[in-house]
Amino acid sequence: MTNAAHSTAGSAVNTTVNPITAEMIRHALLAIPNQIDLNITRTAFSPIIYVYKDFACGIVDPEGRLICQGKGSIPLFVANALGVAVRDGLAVHGREGIEPGDVIFTNDPGSLGQHLNNVAMYTPIFSGGDTPELLGFMAVLVHWIDIGGMVVGSAATSKSTDIFQEGIQFRSVKLWSRGKPVKDVYRIIESNTRFPRMLMGDVQSQLAGCLLGRDMFLGIVQKYSLDKVRASIEMMWARSEAAARLAISRIPDGTYSASSFLDSDSIDVNRRIEVNVEVLVHGDEMTVDFSKVSDQVKGPLNSGREGGAVTAARIAFKYLVAPDEPANDGSFRPLHIVVPDGKFISAKGSAPMGGYSTPIPTVVDTIIRCLVTGMPEYVAGGHHGNFGIHGYSGISPITKQLFHCSSTMHGGWGASLGHDGPGPYKTMAHGDTLDIPVEMQEALYPIRIESQHLRIDSGGAGKFRGGLGVEKVSTFLAPCSSHVSSDRNGCAPWGILGGRDAAVPDVEVEHVGGQRESARKTTIPLAPGDCMYITSGGGGGYGDPLERDPASVERDVRLGYVSRESALTDYGVVLDQANRAQAEATRMERQKRRAQR
Amino acid sequence: MRYIVAADTGGTFTDLAAFDRVEGKLIMTKSLTTYDDLVNGLMDCFHKAKIDLPQAEIVKFATTLVINTFVQRNGAKTALITTEGHRDILEIKRGNRAIPFDLRYERDPVLVERDLRIEVRERISGDGSVFRPLDVAQLESIAADLKHMGIEAVAVSFLNAYANSAHEDQAAALLRERLPGVFVVAGSELTREWFEYERTSTSVANAYAGPRLADCITRLDSRMRGEGFSKTFYMMASNGGVVALKRARQQPCAMLESGPVGGCIGAGVYATALGLDKIIAFDMGGTTAKCGIVQNGQFEVKSPYFVGGEERGFPVRHAVIDIVEVGAGGGSIAHLDEQGRVAVGPRSAGSTPGPVCYGLGGTEPTITDANLALGRISASSFLGGEMRLDEPAAKGSIEALAGKLGFAGAAGRDEMAQGIIALGTLTMASAIRQITTERGLDPRDFTLFAFGGGGPLHGQTLAREMNIPEVVIPPEPGIFSAIGMLLADARVDETRTFLRPLTEEAATEMAEAFNQMEAAMSEALTAELGPVPLTFLRQAQMRFAGQRHFVQTGVTPTSTLPQTRSAFESLYRQRFGHVDAGAPIEIVGLTLTATASIQRPPLEQLRPAVDQPATPRRRSVYFAERSGRLDTPVYSRNALPSGFESAGPAIIEEYGSTTVVGPDDHFSIGVLGEIRIRLSPSEKERPS
Repeated sequence: MTNAAHSTAGSAVNTTVNPITAEMIRHALLAIPNQIDLNITRTAFSPIIYVYKDFACGIVDPEGRLICQGKGSIPLFVANALGVAVRDGLAVHGREGIEPGDVIFTNDPGSLGQHLNNVAMYTPIFSGGDTPELLGFMAVLVHWIDIGGMVVGSAATSKSTDIFQEGIQFRSVKLWSRGKPVKDVYRIIESNTRFPRMLMGDVQSQLAGCLLGRDMFLGIVQKYSLDKVRASIEMMWARSEAAARLAISRIPDGTYSASSFLDSDSIDVNRRIEVNVEVLVHGDEMTVDFSKVSDQVKGPLNSGREGGAVTAARIAFKYLVAPDEPANDGSFRPLHIVVPDGKFISAKGSAPMGGYSTPIPTVVDTIIRCLVTGMPEYVAGGHHGNFGIHGYSGISPITKQLFHCSSTMHGGWGASLGHDGPGPYKTMAHGDTLDIPVEMQEALYPIRIESQHLRIDSGGAGKFRGGLGVEKVSTFLAPCSSHVSSDRNGCAPWGILGGRDAAVPDVEVEHVGGQRESARKTTIPLAPGDCMYITSGGGGGYGDPLERDPASVERDVRLGYVSRESALTDYGVVLDQANRAQAEATRMERQKRRAQR
Repeated sequence: MRYIVAADTGGTFTDLAAFDRVEGKLIMTKSLTTYDDLVNGLMDCFHKAKIDLPQAEIVKFATTLVINTFVQRNGAKTALITTEGHRDILEIKRGNRAIPFDLRYERDPVLVERDLRIEVRERISGDGSVFRPLDVAQLESIAADLKHMGIEAVAVSFLNAYANSAHEDQAAALLRERLPGVFVVAGSELTREWFEYERTSTSVANAYAGPRLADCITRLDSRMRGEGFSKTFYMMASNGGVVALKRARQQPCAMLESGPVGGCIGAGVYATALGLDKIIAFDMGGTTAKCGIVQNGQFEVKSPYFVGGEERGFPVRHAVIDIVEVGAGGGSIAHLDEQGRVAVGPRSAGSTPGPVCYGLGGTEPTITDANLALGRISASSFLGGEMRLDEPAAKGSIEALAGKLGFAGAAGRDEMAQGIIALGTLTMASAIRQITTERGLDPRDFTLFAFGGGGPLHGQTLAREMNIPEVVIPPEPGIFSAIGMLLADARVDETRTFLRPLTEEAATEMAEAFNQMEAAMSEALTAELGPVPLTFLRQAQMRFAGQRHFVQTGVTPTSTLPQTRSAFESLYRQRFGHVDAGAPIEIVGLTLTATASIQRPPLEQLRPAVDQPATPRRRSVYFAERSGRLDTPVYSRNALPSGFESAGPAIIEEYGSTTVVGPDDHFSIGVLGEIRIRLSPSEKERPS
């Protein structure tokens, strides 16, 4: 599917365009989704969109190939969810069934392979004139805050066993037909959500984005001519493809492999989900093989081929070979993905997918881990890799209305050659995702966040130390129901090339009266005064910790990143009473520890 | 008194502009900034300009000292006092990665490391009530430790202090008493807006820069007074106004961007005098281009501002003139990337080696080289002929690049050079788009007000790209920022979080809250500036309930609820194209702006002196509108009196800049000596 032969398929392009004009058209095209990104962030009604940036905007060609995508959206959507949505619409309606002024939306799990909250909306872009020609589609994917199902927020389930428990499905439905809203469809949407005002506001913002983007694209065609715009798009694809091929060709040929696992699907609580990946590099092509990952699971951690396997492979590919290229169809042509049907990342459309994104950071990181020996100067130790979702909902004592607040954890990232691990950040599946301020949560919801600290010794030891995880302690001030989804308690973020593993995450609840219980993947009622302790993992270390500069260890101890005990036992650094590193004693200690290995 | 003086200590030069009221003329000097002691450098400037300090009425001072303190990380030894449980907020930040696919992405190092971030027992709840009182005994013991450690500055930042500052007030008072000579600041003294990371970062930044700026101001003030200066000395702030020294000492970060704002202020003053109610101020220099919107003489301010940039820097909540800056200046380099795509900037040749034509070792063609190769500037009249440019070298470097892209011969060279201008223009246009179309404004409703060394040269091209109908070039465009400072009024902005659904009751509470803010600000400003008349502007931050972003909506003391609602809705519709009429609206915050007029030079006296009109010279200049060269008249600006008019094409040269008028345009000289270029609605420029 991602094949180089694509480059000249579809529209025949005869015109050449001079390189300066091509560059001007490229910039004009890239500006479209970026502007729509901004508009949506400003006009959306639900925090998951404007704070979390859980949306994506882009333009695809008549065959669903990605022309460009906004840089504001989170990495989860670099896989061509927009194009996949359009292809399903073409399959359902046929090309003739799509007319000027139509607006189509879909959350079809069989094609998108994501949780039902992710709804793609798009409108066709037709040229003017007597015989309008289909030029492409302007598409905007938005996380809808609630679309029914067994829990508030729809996707936030830990117990669903099929997709029908997770909300309503809209497979390639027309929201607008020939420039007119389909009021029946609006009513169906409105009556299938717990937050009608918020959702209808978001839908309006999503729709406005599609229409504005369409008009902007037509403006460019008018200014430069259709032939020149097409030629420029071909040139864009060709160059992004060449950039990716060049980067792959710098990696030594070979078959690389790595493994990791997730704790469980929250139904089969004692069965791990295995993530065994092979990466084959041959010349300027890369193949990611998922043949040995676990089969589809009972609980809601499944994803379809596009939302799971393809998404994870493309995110990893971006980190490894094309971090700076704007995502488009060309850049992914040298990437091939092998995944049999029925794996947990290529599940059937009927499989529960509420937590589809939970495994993605781990799968991405495992692909990157494959290349430790192929790209040792670039690859970093494992990152915390866990969403650490912790949401709560109930009736607000102030407004007397239903509220729902969902947060995720940030944790440590892995160390790499010459760099201690950064963070705390969200996962590799996130990008410019902002945490919700304590003051905002405390002003709007019945909660008090008692502390939020870096965890001492949570970064993997190494010549370069992994980033630190966080501990967050919250007290609930009103009765509410809390949904928690935290994984990676078993598989620690890995150290590489001699670096050590990092601390793992965990979640516990302490009820009033002192009774404490584990709450890693669950939905539990909380009473006023109940307290949640949630931790995130650190990042893996890089290289032998006995080679870490003693001055860096001394600083780590001074700042409370590393304990005195760890300085001695992990790093072999002997400190005096004032925590100053003792050069000679350290040399002897390290010699002794090396000898004992 | 004879002089109004503005001095700006920039990265390289210290510029001084003074208006001599007796002679009715401008005095300008430039000298190298002395990093070891800004005060000496500045005093040298006064002497060089022969300004008699006892004869100075007003002195305004802008400095890059605060921003340099952050760039060089050489501020005070600073400690941070936080609520128990939350000392890591400065380091955890918001958990976001502004660059998505970089495994090593990191922000710049924090200003206060973990061992100097100290927690104290206290807690204010989300509703502003006290949950746990401040542990004074613990704070006493912390104060003793800080003294022992030789701490020079302390920031205090407690959770929810925006809603109730009692604990911060109490802690700051105690620390000031126990630590004389130490710079102490609490977050709520600087901003009453929510979001703990942003407010903590603001308090830390002010503490970090405080002692250095205070020291500089104190020494400068005493040197000037020692030489007989007896009147008022102001600091230029980033919000586009000047502030008194007392406020500058308390809020050093209000001075972060004091240099670049001068041009915007000047543009606003000229726009008002010329009756232009909507302008885009466009300033192009050697490495970047900047633009900002001025409507009805008012520019917008924004907050937070990121020190070190949004991708890697940290936020401070101070009002900064809303300027968008992009990497397109005269020194921006044209090059091919690894994939053979041609790009112009953001890499810049700067002033050394500079463009190829400077002959100082530059080898890659820049925007300036392209302008020279196309005849838009001339080799012999750059900086009034003080610096001769190497035209053959510039052309050679462009031919080399043209060859790689398949353009050949003199025509190919022109096409390449024009391509460099076009790509540079595209970057500048993206900045204008950010401040207009992305906010629902139509650039066709605006006048482009262009200054800086490169503004007059590129204004016309940019206006054509954006369909802007008119370009105005003020007098002395090359030093217009300094002139803008001479024209600046005093200004203070204050914002506080005020969360309410918009109801009758809330509207009344809002008016009451504004009244209180006005009273407090009046008292403070009267103490700082003396009994001057103040003008207040009230703006409410409003949004539809549930949204995050707000729209600043002007309100008056007598606004009714329906008026406030409809003002918000119409602004919202303008900006986003749709509005859900009847949806609940909420107020998020209140912004109060106070301004006080300060004496300024009359604009008529800033008109360029006009010599005898002379017959223009002519040279061959390339114009994109004709995809070719035209024999073009070249005027000297000081040969063009007010009222002069002519059709394009034309080149107008002066000491610090060159203005290009296209072949489809028409230009005239206006009443204040400004050049006005009217772009006729010709066929759209087709760039290829």
